Amino acid sequence: MDRIAALSSVGVLIEAVGRGSPAALKRLYELESRRLYGIALRIVRRPEVAADVLQDAFVQVWQNAAVFSDERGAGAAWLTGIVRFRALDAVRKLGREIPSDDPALGDEPIEPDVIERIGASTQAEALRRCLQLLDEGQQRCIVLAFVDGLSHSEITERIKAPLGSVKSWIRRGLLALRECLEQ
Amino acid sequence: MIPENPEELHVLAGEYVLGVLDAAEAGEVTAALATNPELRSAVAFWEENLEPLSTLAAPAEPPPGTWQAIEARIKEAAPKPAVYGFWNNVSIWRWATVGFAAAAAVLALWIAVTPPSGPSFVAVLRPPQQDQPAWVATAGRDGLLIRSLSAAKPPTDRAFELWAIAPGSAQPRSLGVIPASGEMRLSPLPSDLRNGATLAISIEPTGGSPTQQPTGPIVYVGSVGTV
Repeated sequence: MDRIAALSSVGVLIEAVGRGSPAALKRLYELESRRLYGIALRIVRRPEVAADVLQDAFVQVWQNAAVFSDERGAGAAWLTGIVRFRALDAVRKLGREIPSDDPALGDEPIEPDVIERIGASTQAEALRRCLQLLDEGQQRCIVLAFVDGLSHSEITERIKAPLGSVKSWIRRGLLALRECLEQ
Repeated sequence: MIPENPEELHVLAGEYVLGVLDAAEAGEVTAALATNPELRSAVAFWEENLEPLSTLAAPAEPPPGTWQAIEARIKEAAPKPAVYGFWNNVSIWRWATVGFAAAAAVLALWIAVTPPSGPSFVAVLRPPQQDQPAWVATAGRDGLLIRSLSAAKPPTDRAFELWAIAPGSAQPRSLGVIPASGEMRLSPLPSDLRNGATLAISIEPTGGSPTQQPTGPIVYVGSVGTV
């Protein structure tokens, strides 16, 4: 196995992929595929579509890794961005059912304590603290949009609130989040 | 319209990263990223800061065979060399490779319109956020032919300008303003055009960009590959 691929930092691996190392891509897949597949599945809700999203995303990582630079240690976020982008694109093209709090499909009712379960990094700590300052409607809309990949109108349907309220919750939630995160 | 007001710009960038915009709105943002550094930095802010929310999706085992499928595909697709500055824009690159499946249809068209001894490269250009092929470029020893598939017209008093970035190059180079007919031939073959290069079309003043670099939004983009 090539020495580069023995390293485990995601950013370092992406840079190695950018230099054309297939072993680094394989290692990246071993480290990140479960996390990324989970993100895609939650959005597209069909295993075969999620698998295609993951495949396309890794091919894209292979082709575009050279434009990545690991300045801020943001390798995981870069990968998440690619997978979410592809998953959202698949949903816009293929459509999907609106999640309905069905635990068998990985749905969970959006409870206030969902915010507590955001991971443990320093960045997650800041986001959690700032999300907790938002009111419940704003929190729910932002989580449903990011995690489930729902559009304005899908959120409307899911939480049975008027479109105008959903748009304004997201808007005001984003403004408040930004103010808090920039402090 | 991309707002100039910083607050509105940040909201739009946040909505873009959350994924609540419809395809047309999101496409507008993607296209504007290439030329709007404030928008780019606002999008980066949200991508980084909202990323911890992705831990709320439970990890799951991908179906067996997924890695093998990826491995088979990367043997055919060479990694792109790094490009910087204007082109160092992840979102544009994300879309540059979308929809290889549609390339098969375009390839059939290419075979129909070109002599057998001719071109050895082909590029399919699409709007950054869409899968629909809009232009096809074929190139070989004799030169380059680019042709519109969609009959798209630039806005009034504007023109489509074609750009190439060679593999490993830092700078897009203008290949000229595309005539209103939607078809352009260049001979001999521009040296930037080889496997792994990128072609892009931006909207510019009639007569072309005044700066030797793109000044308007990138509206179509595609990778050059060997046939």
